[in-house]
Amino acid sequence: MRRVAFALLLACGAGSLLFDLTLSSRLPRESDWAELAGALRSEARPGDLAQLWPVWAEEARLHIDSMPVLAEEDLVHADYLGFKRLWVVSLPHFGNPEKGLQERGATPAAPARRFGALQLQAWDLHAPEISPLTTQDAEHEVDYVARRCAQVRIGSHFVVRGPAGSALHVRAGVIGERAYDAGKPAVTVQVFAEGLRLGTLDIPRTARDGTGWRRLDVPMPAGAAERQFIFTIDSSDALRPFCLTAWTSK
Amino acid sequence: MKGLARSLGLATAAAMALTQASVGFTRDEGYYFAAAQSYEAWLRLLLRSPLQAIAQTGKYWSYNFEHPGLTKLLFAVSHLVFTTLTHALPDALSWRLPAFVFAGLLSYWLCLLGSSRSRAAGVLAPLLFWCAERTFFHGHLACFDIPICALWAGVGVAWLSAIQSEQRGPKICFGLMYGVSLAVKHNAWFLPPVLLVHALLLTQRLKALLTLPYMLLSPLVLFAAWPLLWHEPIGHLQAWVAFHLHHVHYAWWYFGQVLRAPPFPIWYPLMVDALVLPIPAVVLLAADGLSLLYGFARRKLDPQRLLELALAGAALLPFLTTTTPIFGGIKHWLGFVALLCPEAAGLLVLIAPSPRKLAAAAAAVLLPGLWQIAHVHPYGTSAYGELAGDIPGAASLGMQRQYWSSNVTAVLPWLNEHCPPDARVYFHEVNFESYRTYVSMQMLRADIHYAASPAQSDYAALQWHREFRDREPEVWNLYGTHRPATGLYLDGVPQIVVYARPGKPGAP
Repeated sequence: MRRVAFALLLACGAGSLLFDLTLSSRLPRESDWAELAGALRSEARPGDLAQLWPVWAEEARLHIDSMPVLAEEDLVHADYLGFKRLWVVSLPHFGNPEKGLQERGATPAAPARRFGALQLQAWDLHAPEISPLTTQDAEHEVDYVARRCAQVRIGSHFVVRGPAGSALHVRAGVIGERAYDAGKPAVTVQVFAEGLRLGTLDIPRTARDGTGWRRLDVPMPAGAAERQFIFTIDSSDALRPFCLTAWTSK
Repeated sequence: MKGLARSLGLATAAAMALTQASVGFTRDEGYYFAAAQSYEAWLRLLLRSPLQAIAQTGKYWSYNFEHPGLTKLLFAVSHLVFTTLTHALPDALSWRLPAFVFAGLLSYWLCLLGSSRSRAAGVLAPLLFWCAERTFFHGHLACFDIPICALWAGVGVAWLSAIQSEQRGPKICFGLMYGVSLAVKHNAWFLPPVLLVHALLLTQRLKALLTLPYMLLSPLVLFAAWPLLWHEPIGHLQAWVAFHLHHVHYAWWYFGQVLRAPPFPIWYPLMVDALVLPIPAVVLLAADGLSLLYGFARRKLDPQRLLELALAGAALLPFLTTTTPIFGGIKHWLGFVALLCPEAAGLLVLIAPSPRKLAAAAAAVLLPGLWQIAHVHPYGTSAYGELAGDIPGAASLGMQRQYWSSNVTAVLPWLNEHCPPDARVYFHEVNFESYRTYVSMQMLRADIHYAASPAQSDYAALQWHREFRDREPEVWNLYGTHRPATGLYLDGVPQIVVYARPGKPGAP
């Protein structure tokens, strides 16, 4: 018994030390990042986006200067608004993004390439043509991910004209930690087009991380090619910062 | 054995002193430094005009009323002696000096507890505790976590001595030692019931029970070391108790969910211990805990081992209730780890009885911890063990990345080099008190100003916290850039990310 315990302890110590001492071999070096950033620089084109995986690999932001860098945590449902091609920058020792990308219908646009511990692969998003209905010039954190969305006041409404397309998409959530405030009422977003209510999106207080960025996707009823949309944002508690993005797709 | 214990205690204190310079000033240290400054002003008044000082305790001691006075008084005395009067040490080092003494005392008492098994166990007990970056890091801080952990062991040693002695001296010592623990931190409130239960479980029950009343000496120490209580003691004691009964719950990231309010996962403290400590230490401590519980179930524990089990359990128990605030990594239940170490050391000696085997076993248990210290220090709040997959694994699991802001030291040299004169820096979680200490310690240029918000800043040093993720997009929007200028990335995992407004020196 004593011998077994002794052997197990030695194995445990040696295994731990081996894991620790080889950690750096599973992580990218400065030169790996530089080469990857150089490759992206030479191949970047409009509509490209870099997605990090795992999302903590944000050291990439120091190096990648040729396209926006995103750390979306939900690869299946991320909207990647306005982007056609996704450059997935991953650390294969720490996770594989393929399953999520395939589930959303993305397909590899090129074979994966290795830069030391880093892997780079382009994916075609097969994204439909979209027409934004809200401004996207600022980013706000909702549900711990930076979202390109318009900050709007709860209790307000806004009117916008835009192409009808075949479907309307709305995403909304409370910005920052206020989303988790206990006992706060839901925020309700209603969307009307030409007097007809297209849909309602309820954003309750976020009780569980990952549920704060709410989605509404509705087919567009037949009618004019361009319409006037009205968005109303209501709640009995209007003090929380709120963020919304909307678009139509062909 | 006391000679060996003293040597280990001195070595521990020396190790802390020699490795403290790079340890950043944690948020709480900032407050305790400010408290120590106020208390030092009172001490000087006491030396000049004692009656006036006694009359004005409220003015000088109300700051940080939520913690008793002893440790902060020691920080103040140390600063008064070694900095103000003799100019022998810089500010921060003299404030931290008493903390190193408490770290040394912890080694001393752990060695005494371990030595009751064997001399080797006496040496290994403190080593098992300190050979992990989390515990090693806390040994440097002018805070209360290591002091109360030391006193947790110290009261245990004093209690064992008191219940075994026929003399009154050890019993008085025990009563006063408990008073010291009470004057260090409120964790000491839990000791009387633990010792009562211990006494009831002993064969010499009556003798032990008759030792308990010596704890009534403790208020003398509490009052002597905490001048705030010299006026309106009931009101101040009530405020002290109320603060901790209604303590705020800070957001804490745990397995991908930010925990904000009770109920917290019941196994939270054990899980965090398992993830942050090196695996061999976790395995040994787990085996040791099970061995103690097994011995307890079979009523085969001697009084000392029974006490170690009781003290370790009592240090952990409040955090298993699912309602006690859980922030601060493992610092609030360090006593749990510490009081398991003597038995773990004994177990190690039992597994490897020959000197050569013991050396191999000790190396197997201690080397991963030493690697962790060498690799991560001084960024102790970020350290994770192999079970988590080290720091990157913990990031993938969605575990709290850091706390207390002390990792900012990594980017201070860059700021000193690049910031233009009178630059405004948003330091995020770094409070003004810690910022002021960085300046006074010349770790940060005096002309670099503290900006209250990103909007008022030229540079932003953001600390990566899950619950503060809104700050980074805020800086992107304000600065008009997504590219950091520099940062602290531990094994590739962002801890501190520095942004510079475009056009400012150092901006990418």
